Amino acid sequence: MEYSNLRRQIVFMKKNLFDQGYLDEQFNQLEDLEDESSPNFLEEVVALFFKDSSRLLTNIEQATDKYPQDFYKLDSLVQQLKGSGSSIGALRMKNECSVFKANCNDRNLEGCRRSLQKIKREHATLKQKLESYFQLLRQVGPRDYAVSSRK
Amino acid sequence: MAHRKMMRVLLVEDEEINRLELAQVVARAALKAAAGGGDDDLVLDEAENGAAAVQRVRDAATAAAAPYDLILMDKQMPVMDGHEATRRIRGMGVTTPIVAVSSDGLPADVEAFVAAGADDFTSKPLSKEKLGDILAKFRLA
Repeated sequence: MEYSNLRRQIVFMKKNLFDQGYLDEQFNQLEDLEDESSPNFLEEVVALFFKDSSRLLTNIEQATDKYPQDFYKLDSLVQQLKGSGSSIGALRMKNECSVFKANCNDRNLEGCRRSLQKIKREHATLKQKLESYFQLLRQVGPRDYAVSSRK
Repeated sequence: MAHRKMMRVLLVEDEEINRLELAQVVARAALKAAAGGGDDDLVLDEAENGAAAVQRVRDAATAAAAPYDLILMDKQMPVMDGHEATRRIRGMGVTTPIVAVSSDGLPADVEAFVAAGADDFTSKPLSKEKLGDILAKFRLA
């Protein structure tokens, strides 16, 4: 009974993450890459993403404070963040990175700073939500790879 | 006894997360091929930038090593980017299919890669399906 409740919570949580636009299909693609030899592949990739993206966000923030402003460098850093976000299906972050890049293109520093704050908020929210999701998954235990677990 | 053909793929990508994902996609494609009765082994090599990729291709082209069957090339990388690496690999006379893998699918990006000598372009992230299409296109699966 407890197991069934946990599975239901997991399915519900994941559906919410998709319905609210935090994640896109790439997240499912990553989950589908898990197998018996890499049972925690998704969680490992997500952990790596948050490690890399935290560093990138710090670099981006430092770059926005520099004078004179190097919009090419800023764009390059945000492009990296956008690419990483795409890798795990972080849809909202990816979209906000596109807004940031448009601000770079317009040489709009204030716009870049506003975008950065939004990206940081999305990053923190997604991290918290995925930590809760993986915590639940760990309670359920390893997947049965003979059974499909698509959303 | 049937000989297993070793298919060598070179993945050129600076971001660790993308290398990890692509490596898993390639590994799963190899397992699927084996499960389906395929007789090819898919071996993945990695290079973290264009310069390392050029060196690996140069090394693989020697008599002792097997050349690569496919090169997956990122665009934006430190030391040497994907466009330049592609140009240099073609400049060595290497005809291995090169597929550009980039999160920018802008026409200018695609054109730049093709002008450098790439055979195809696909957008990130690379899925099992996209890899399957690539392998089929170049008759590697």
